[in-house]
Amino acid sequence: MTIGWFAALFRVWRREFYLLTHDLGAMLFFFALPLLYPATYTIIYNPEVIKNLPIAVIDHSRTAESRHLTRMINATDGLEVYAYVDDKPAAQRLMHSKEVFGTLEIPADYAKKIGRGEQAVVTYFADMSLLLRYRTAAFALTDVQLALGEELRQQDIDAAGLLLQDMNGSTISTDSLMLGDPTQGFASFIMPGVLVLILHQGLLLGICMLAGGVAERRRRGGGVDPLSVAAPVSATLIGKCLCYLIVYAPMVLFVIHIVPGMFSLPHVGNIWHELMFLLPMIVAVTMLGQCVAVFISEREASMLVVVATSVVFLFLSGLTWPRYAMGGFWQLVGDFIPATWGVEGFVRINSLGATIADERTPYIMLWGLSLVYFAVAWVLGRVGKTRGETLKKR
Amino acid sequence: MWKILRQSIAYGWRLLCSRPAFFGVAVFLPLFCDFFFLNLMHEGLPLRVPAAVVDQDHSTLSRRVIRNLSASELVDVTQEVESYSEALRKVREGEVFGFFLLPRDFQKNALNGAGTTVTFYSNLSIFVPGTLVFKGFKTTAVTTAGGVAVTTLTSMGVDEAAAGTLLQPVVVQQNPLANPWMNYSVYLSNSFLPGVIALLVVLLACFTICGEIKHATSPEWLRVSGGSMITALFGKLLPQAVLFTAIGVFTQSLLYGYCHFPLNCPAWQMVLAMVMLVLGCQGFAVLICCALPNLRLSLILASLTGILAFSIAAYSYPVQSMYGGVAIFSYILPVRYYFLIYTDLALNGVPMYYARFYFAALALFMVLPLPLLGRLKKRCLNPVYVP
Repeated sequence: MTIGWFAALFRVWRREFYLLTHDLGAMLFFFALPLLYPATYTIIYNPEVIKNLPIAVIDHSRTAESRHLTRMINATDGLEVYAYVDDKPAAQRLMHSKEVFGTLEIPADYAKKIGRGEQAVVTYFADMSLLLRYRTAAFALTDVQLALGEELRQQDIDAAGLLLQDMNGSTISTDSLMLGDPTQGFASFIMPGVLVLILHQGLLLGICMLAGGVAERRRRGGGVDPLSVAAPVSATLIGKCLCYLIVYAPMVLFVIHIVPGMFSLPHVGNIWHELMFLLPMIVAVTMLGQCVAVFISEREASMLVVVATSVVFLFLSGLTWPRYAMGGFWQLVGDFIPATWGVEGFVRINSLGATIADERTPYIMLWGLSLVYFAVAWVLGRVGKTRGETLKKR
Repeated sequence: MWKILRQSIAYGWRLLCSRPAFFGVAVFLPLFCDFFFLNLMHEGLPLRVPAAVVDQDHSTLSRRVIRNLSASELVDVTQEVESYSEALRKVREGEVFGFFLLPRDFQKNALNGAGTTVTFYSNLSIFVPGTLVFKGFKTTAVTTAGGVAVTTLTSMGVDEAAAGTLLQPVVVQQNPLANPWMNYSVYLSNSFLPGVIALLVVLLACFTICGEIKHATSPEWLRVSGGSMITALFGKLLPQAVLFTAIGVFTQSLLYGYCHFPLNCPAWQMVLAMVMLVLGCQGFAVLICCALPNLRLSLILASLTGILAFSIAAYSYPVQSMYGGVAIFSYILPVRYYFLIYTDLALNGVPMYYARFYFAALALFMVLPLPLLGRLKKRCLNPVYVP
């Protein structure tokens, strides 16, 4: 019995390997997609940060002080003074034609207020079409505000003849460190998660495409797929899973190890921990794929569904909108997608140097999902098998 | 003439009705995405980011700082731990998105003038909570430093008002135009939902056109349409266009009506943009089918461009910052122009004059495939399926 089971497992594995390597469409998803997509994606985001975002300055003050402020803003990494204009309508025209993405207005009494030791307020109007632009401007302006404040404060303190501990006029200094993405680059933030999603969707598409082929052959063959192998349902599921694992392993290694190296993405995790962590995710996806496969009737139909779900999976994974802020319902839906746990755990291993032990929750959940989807696929497979047999008898 | 047109449209409609999966793609999926996006991000900003505090001082001053931090709407202090390594472990386990470290002898050194440093760590590997927690930490750190400075200065005889100004001699007041709440859903739903619709329009058009070739029904399709490729495409795509436009306008009514997202232009302008987006995407799809009259290849190209559109049409990372050679690809996608129209008209309330080229570009997509239709027709007359 057991020997027969293993023999069946081997036959399924061999046949699936044959089918996969003789199906150009499926190979495209299994090999070309993980090879090309990560690079394409990273190249789009590779400049990482916004530099020299053009802004307009309306200077009503026109003094040495206001020009000093403008120079300081121009000297930041993020902002660039594109135009020095007279009034608001002029700045607005530049905003409308997208020549600038922000306007800084310096009031007429700017220098006077600084001279009197009063607080001077300058106003910045930000274009909000992209939050990343606003973020760049906000960070740059806050830095300028603090630096300029320090400079002016030191002048005042010196003039007053006070003796203070340090430059800040305070005994407490502050220090900020960024974890995970120290340069605050966009590619460095989004790519580690997207890499996992690419692996997830590529595998799902490939499996669905193969399943579509089975369905089409079965339709042509009058309910029987001539290339199918007679085997117990469990042997079929595990045999196919093993086949996909072996075929996909080099792609996983390429995507999570070589690609971050190519583009200098954050990559501080231990490669063995990463591979070990992704193993249950790949297993879970193969099982999920075999559940979905039951409903696929045409090779190409799978793409309609899987492609559109990519966006939903991206959001469920918490990469753009964090999971703690999701409603309970969406958290639960996300819990059933292997990519959610895969992205969450992999990003922390890859970017923060976490270990499998730190990621025990996602790791266990992924094995749990593998089991759940194996069970579902087994039930679906049994139902399909008995229905096929009754059809044959009729 | 009218009879043939009617016949062709009826053929297209019957095809659309022939498989429930088509309605799933055209109706259920976009409606699901509407609900998903708007419900997921209904809070606008994921405030109260879980964060940890490492208090190695346990003094009145350090406790006051922690209380200030907890009072911030940005940060939710969920963990109080004793060491740096434990806090870092909490970050790695994903329980918190950053931590605030108050060193030993914090109060003593702050008050006796020896000087001390508060350090805060923000996990930027997830951007939005990382940025929010950074902002919350920074505000608290700066006000803490400032508070001590005011005390020091007043003790030296500077009057309190002057000391306050000394701390912040210059303030840059930031005004985020059109989205002052920095609502994340306004920013994302407005670009991703039309993006999903555009993706599905292209996919379904490619699927139904090249599906005829795959199933070798294309000669029949042409016969019904009186042998004219244009009539055939018109008949096939019109029912889909009506369906998707209805869904698109419904989505817009959810965004601008139900959710009250900024709509600083007459509503008809956005409706016009949606109609043109759907038709432009269909033109784009026909172009793909002309270039690759094969079901699988055309669908792959459609999915590739459709999914890449979410990145390359610059919903989140600006075109101006991409490499020049990459950025030009942004402009081969219809959905890019819809996004520009949306930011100009609905978000920023710019006169339509500034968006004229975007409308023109969408119109161009509709007529772009016309010169190539002969190629598609030839393939439709001799359907060969390449798996």
